[in-house]
Amino acid sequence: MANYNIDADKALTYDAIVVGSGISGGWAAKELAEKGLKTLVLERGRIVEHVADYPTMNLDPWDMELRGGLTAEEQDKHYKSIRSGFIGKDTEHFHANDRENPYTEVKPFLWIRAHQMGGRSILWGKQTYRWSDIDFEANAKDGHGVDWPIRYRDIAPWYSYVEKFAGISGSKEGLKQLPDSEFLPPMEMNVVEKAVKERIEKNYPGRNMIIGRCAHLTVPHNGRGQCQYRNRCSRGCPYGAYFSSNAATLPAAHKTGNLTIRPFSIVQEVLYDDAKGKATGVRIIDAETSEAIDYKARVVFLCASALSSTQIMLNSKSNRFENGLGNDSGELGHNLMDHTYRVGATGTVDGFDDRYYKGRRPNGIYIPRYWNIDKESQSDKFVRGFGYQGGAGRGGAREAANQPEYGATFKDNLVKPGPWEFFITGFSESLPRHENKVYLNTDVTDKWGQPTLTIDAEWGPNEHALNQQAQEDAVEMLERAGLQNIVGFNNKHEMGYGIHEMGTARMGRDPKTSVLNGFNQVHGAPNVFVTDGACMTSSACVNPSLTYMALTARAADHAVRELNKQNI
Amino acid sequence: MNRRDVLRSISYLAGGAVVAPSVLTLIQGCAPSEPELGWAPEYFTEDEARFVTSYVDTLLPRTDTPGGLDVGVDRFIDKVMAATTVKSDEPSPIQEGIRQFDTDAETRFGKVFHALEADQRGELFSEAEKSPRYQPAVWGTAVGEQPPIGFYRSFKSMVLWGYLSSEKVGTEVLNYDPVPGEYDGDIALSSVGGKAWSL
Repeated sequence: MANYNIDADKALTYDAIVVGSGISGGWAAKELAEKGLKTLVLERGRIVEHVADYPTMNLDPWDMELRGGLTAEEQDKHYKSIRSGFIGKDTEHFHANDRENPYTEVKPFLWIRAHQMGGRSILWGKQTYRWSDIDFEANAKDGHGVDWPIRYRDIAPWYSYVEKFAGISGSKEGLKQLPDSEFLPPMEMNVVEKAVKERIEKNYPGRNMIIGRCAHLTVPHNGRGQCQYRNRCSRGCPYGAYFSSNAATLPAAHKTGNLTIRPFSIVQEVLYDDAKGKATGVRIIDAETSEAIDYKARVVFLCASALSSTQIMLNSKSNRFENGLGNDSGELGHNLMDHTYRVGATGTVDGFDDRYYKGRRPNGIYIPRYWNIDKESQSDKFVRGFGYQGGAGRGGAREAANQPEYGATFKDNLVKPGPWEFFITGFSESLPRHENKVYLNTDVTDKWGQPTLTIDAEWGPNEHALNQQAQEDAVEMLERAGLQNIVGFNNKHEMGYGIHEMGTARMGRDPKTSVLNGFNQVHGAPNVFVTDGACMTSSACVNPSLTYMALTARAADHAVRELNKQNI
Repeated sequence: MNRRDVLRSISYLAGGAVVAPSVLTLIQGCAPSEPELGWAPEYFTEDEARFVTSYVDTLLPRTDTPGGLDVGVDRFIDKVMAATTVKSDEPSPIQEGIRQFDTDAETRFGKVFHALEADQRGELFSEAEKSPRYQPAVWGTAVGEQPPIGFYRSFKSMVLWGYLSSEKVGTEVLNYDPVPGEYDGDIALSSVGGKAWSL
C-alpha cells in the first residue's frame, strides 16, 4: 500500500495542481512530481488504494448476495449509467452516484462517471492504439473542424515514452493507419479467430485482423505482475496487470515524495489573475464538509475528464474571461465527439466442436480501419472510417435458454460448451460539429448546490453513413468467411455509449477557433493545461486513452520547461 | 467480452426482458391438499412459490448431477425478485406470467401447473417452446431485431442463471478455474472432460 499523503490543508500553495486522478491526471501527477514539482492532486472522490480497495476482485458469482445483480436501491442510484449494461455488484462501487450528480440530456446522451481516485482508469476497456497522420491530418484535408496543431512526429516519441512505462501488449504489423507501439508480447488468438483471420485476409487484400492491442502485461513489467487471464479487470487487478492510475502512475508519483492527493475535493473553478494574465490556483468545495478552499499553484493541469474539465472552465469566470476560462473563441463546450458503438455482425462457426480454450482473455481481435486510408480506399459516401473489435468464444446460458428442450437430457447438455460464435462490432469516427455541445445549467444543481451540465448532442449524417457501411461490411466479411446464422446489427446507441466523449476544449492553431494550443495550454491562460479528452480536435476511430497519456506527458514536459524559463 | 467485463446473464435485471403476457386472468386459490412448500418465500405468494419450485424441477430435474432444487434455484429467484423489484401493489410481469401459465394449465388440464403430472407439464413446456427466442448478444446486449420474449423463456433464462451461477454447479459440475494463469487458444475439449468453464 502506498500510504498516500492526503494531508493537504497544512500547505495551501504547491508548484502544481492536477485536477482529477484518472488516466490523464495520473500521468500529469507522475510526470510533474518526477520533475521535482510539489504536486497536489485534487480528487473529487475517495482514495482507492491499489489492491486494498478492490473488495470484489476475487469474488465468484456465488460469493455475491445476488450473484452480481443490483438491488432496487442500487439500480436507482445508477439509474442513468445502468443503461450501459456494464454495472453489476462487482463494479457498482466504482461508478458515480447519478442522483447526487445530475446532468441534463437535451437529446439522449449517456455520461458514465467514476468519482474516486483512479477514476475510469479502473474501469476502462484497455484497448490501446496509436493515432497516425491519417488521423492528425484529417480535419485539414476534408475541412471538418479545425486543423490539429500537431502531427504524428510530434507525439510519436511520447507514445513510446508512455508505452514503455504502461506496458502495452500487441503484434507488430507495420500498418500506416495504425502505427506499431512499443510492444510487450501479444496475446494469442484462439483457434477459431485464427481461422477467421485467414479467411478474411484472403478474401480482402488490404484488410487485416490482428490481436487487440491492450494495456495488459503479458510479462512482468516495471514491478507489476502479468495477466492471469481471469477477466475480472474492472474490479481492480490484484496483480496490477492492467494499466490504471492506481496500479501504475500514482504509486510512481508517490515515490518521489512530491505528491499530495486530496480526496473529496470538487474543483469549482480555476482562479485567474487578470493583471498577470494567468491562473493562480483553483477553488474547491470539500465534498464532505461543503467548505470552500483555495489552493494556489504555478501551474494547473485540468484532467477531470472531458466534460468535467470543460464544466470547470465554463464555471471559471473573470473579467478577462466572462464566458469561461479560455473561451475567446466561443468553442468551449462545443464539438463534442464520441465513437459509435455496437454496429456489426455476429455468427456461428462450424467445424471446431472438439476444440476449446483455457483462460478468460481480457482482449479480443481488432480489424483496423481500411476505408479512406489511401486513394484506392476512398469512399464516396462518407469521410473518415471505422475499425472493428470482436472475438470468438463458445456460447453459454443464453444459447441454452433458446434450446427447445427441458428436463434431464437438457440439463445434462448444459455442462457442454455451446457453439462457437464470432462477432465484430465497429467503432466509427465522429466529426467535430459545433452544434454538439455542453453548457452550464444553473437551474439543476448538484448535491453541493453547484451548477450542472446540460448535454445537447447527436450523431450526424456522416456517422450514420459510416455505421451503415460498418454493418454491411461486417455481414459480408462473415458471410465470405463461411460463418453460419449471421445476424447484422446496428443498435443505434445515442452518443456517450462509446464512453469516449471528447473534444469540448479543442486544441488548434488559432485562438479564434480553438481553446488550447499545440501543447495543451489554454489560450490566454498559459499556465493552465487541459490534457484529458476535452483537448481533442478530432476523434479518429481508435480508442483514445493512449493519446491522452502521450499528450499529458508531452504537456507536462513542456510545462516544466516553460516554468524553468519563467515563461509561465 | 474484450471491452469491458460484462455480467451478461443478469442483463434482464435492468428491466425490459421480462415481458408480460397480454391477458391477465386471476385463478382460484390452491386446493386444501397442497404439499408443504418447505421454505418461506419473501417475494412470491405461497402459490406462486409452488409454481416456481415445480417449474425449476421440471426444467432441471435431479439426475446423477444436482437438480435445480438441489442448489436452491427457487429460493434464489425469490431472493433476487425481493431485492431487485421496487415494491408495488401491481403484480409484476413475472407474477402475471405465472398467473397466465397457471390459467393455461387449468384450461387444458383442469389444474394449476404445480398440481400436474410430469407429462402434462411437459406438454405445456413444449407448447411454450414455440415462442420467440433470444437474439445473439454482443457484450451482454441483444443484437438485431429482438422479438418480445415471453414469460416462459425469460423465466427459463433466469432459472438457468440461478443454476449455473450456483456454487455447487460452478465448482463441482462445470470446470472451475478462478485463476487460469495463462491463455491457451486451442485445447482439445476432451482434455477438460468435454465440459464448459464455469466462469
